[in-house]
Amino acid sequence: MAADNGGKKVAAPALAPLARKAAVVLRSIWARGEGRFALVVLALWLAVSLISLVWTPQSLWSTDGYHVWQGPTAAHWLGTDGTGSDVLSWLMAGARTNLLIAVLAVALAGVLGMALTAAMVSRSATVSGVSAVLVDALISIPTVLIALILAVPMGASVAVIVIACGIGYGLNLARIARPQALLAANSGYVDSALANGASWFSVLVRHIMPNTMPTMTVQLSLSAGTAVLAESGLTYLGVGVPSGVPSWGHSLATSVKFIDVYPLTVLWPGLIVTVVVVALNVFGDVLRDAVDPVANPALREVA
Amino acid sequence: MRRFIIERLALFIGALAGISVVIFAALRILPGDVATVMAGLNSPPDKVARIRAQMGLDRPLVLQYGDWMGGLLRGDFGKSLLTGRSVTSTVAMRASITFPLIVMGLVVALAVGLSLGVAATLATRPAARSCFHFFGIVGGSIPALWGGLLLILLFSRGTGLIGLFPSQGFPQRGWHDTGAALLSLVLPALTVGIIDGASLMRYTRSALADLLSSGYLDQAMACGYTRRQAVLRVGLRLAMPQLVSVVGLMFAGMVTGVMVIENLFALPGIGYGLVTDLGNRDLIAVQSELFMLAAFFLAMGFVVDVLHRLLDPRLKSSLEGGR
Repeated sequence: MAADNGGKKVAAPALAPLARKAAVVLRSIWARGEGRFALVVLALWLAVSLISLVWTPQSLWSTDGYHVWQGPTAAHWLGTDGTGSDVLSWLMAGARTNLLIAVLAVALAGVLGMALTAAMVSRSATVSGVSAVLVDALISIPTVLIALILAVPMGASVAVIVIACGIGYGLNLARIARPQALLAANSGYVDSALANGASWFSVLVRHIMPNTMPTMTVQLSLSAGTAVLAESGLTYLGVGVPSGVPSWGHSLATSVKFIDVYPLTVLWPGLIVTVVVVALNVFGDVLRDAVDPVANPALREVA
Repeated sequence: MRRFIIERLALFIGALAGISVVIFAALRILPGDVATVMAGLNSPPDKVARIRAQMGLDRPLVLQYGDWMGGLLRGDFGKSLLTGRSVTSTVAMRASITFPLIVMGLVVALAVGLSLGVAATLATRPAARSCFHFFGIVGGSIPALWGGLLLILLFSRGTGLIGLFPSQGFPQRGWHDTGAALLSLVLPALTVGIIDGASLMRYTRSALADLLSSGYLDQAMACGYTRRQAVLRVGLRLAMPQLVSVVGLMFAGMVTGVMVIENLFALPGIGYGLVTDLGNRDLIAVQSELFMLAAFFLAMGFVVDVLHRLLDPRLKSSLEGGR
């Protein structure tokens, strides 16, 4: 037991406060009605994605030529599509594709955003100037256009959505985080750390980046919502998720054809996307207050 | 101010050149090229090679790029490889549908966004405030495709509950049939307008809320304005530079933002056409169309930045000292 503790102590000082802070933040989010809604929806999303890997009500590939464009029945709770596939099963399986896309796009945006922010506060005037100019110039190119340019050589694929969203949101992230990073980079504590012999890299990691974290996390949460929306649009345009891969965009695009046959089935895929995107947006809003030590007194007590 | 414009213009031109290289490169690493498509599947390789030579696709890449750029500088965007029509005239025809659509969408967005944003700032009853909050969040979270579908289900002739507007296609005679053309754009414009209006409302509300806590409006109210007058007369004027930026970028974003809507409502606009050309592997057309779109967005970014400076005197004076 004692030896165990001794072994853990090495990592403990760095990680324990962070974990405790995360717990406080989650509890503050849960304490608000809106935050509770967001957490429940996001947890459901994760749960359904995992369940769909091992079980869906019907096999994705079982088609039933005698029961196409059906309304809800006991066997097919949300009806069937034009090939007789089960709508509910495809929606469940779509959850995991969208989760993957959102996570990867946000990760790429986060890495790119942090790298650009670091470059923009660099001590070298060339690096900071060039990166600032790059961000300013490219920020007005919309994600859809990046996706279309990428789709020309790459064809329809998950990678197109992830890379396009990652670049678009990463640029946006850098632009939004820049003022805070500059403020920190010009602060007295950074000067004193440098004067005491700290390297620029360690100052960047320990003092500058942490200052941008609240903005970054909030912005990334909002970006996850936009990524889900982008998936549905790009897939409908034929440059997103390739046909045959379940995704909400695929279900939504299929549901367009329902409109004359069974209008109520049109509601489900769009409703799910809307609820998930609302949850991600609300999560971002509530997170903004929860990670702000000024607005959230509980956080001050941990640190 | 002049220095800012010159710097920003240089940036615009540099970015344009960079984007042109990216687009050109993206199109050359295309797996199946247009020659294969034109020759037909499983056609003998020498036939494909002949077509490729005819279209100049076998020449060195640098020469091809030079030709393309030279043409662009003379205002010649090339001809579609499939139809032989000049890209400029095709895009102009498509723009005659897309631009009226986004202008109508923007009018809806401004009407919805500004009025609700101001109303949400002025609202004092908790119930009203949460209603506005709800609309702001949900309105911006609806996939455009689904929003369009819902409007079709509600208001389209044929399938809708209340058949008011057509939902498929643009009249054969185009704008000569003005009434029908306008009617066919109503549902698509409402779709984009409401979705973008919700986000404009959030921007308006947060810009006004920042101002309410900044002291400017307190000052106005101390001078005898009511809260409503202070927000409408002083608040909106102060929030204008920010809102012009948002609206400008929103207008630009709508060109690609309406792609899904154009496809759903079968309107042969810029987005619809680009997706079609992409599917046909129409190399020259796609290349010039992508470039035109990129140029348009970069130009809008430039205009918005300059307008922002012009509208906000504080930035103008702080700029005299350089960056």
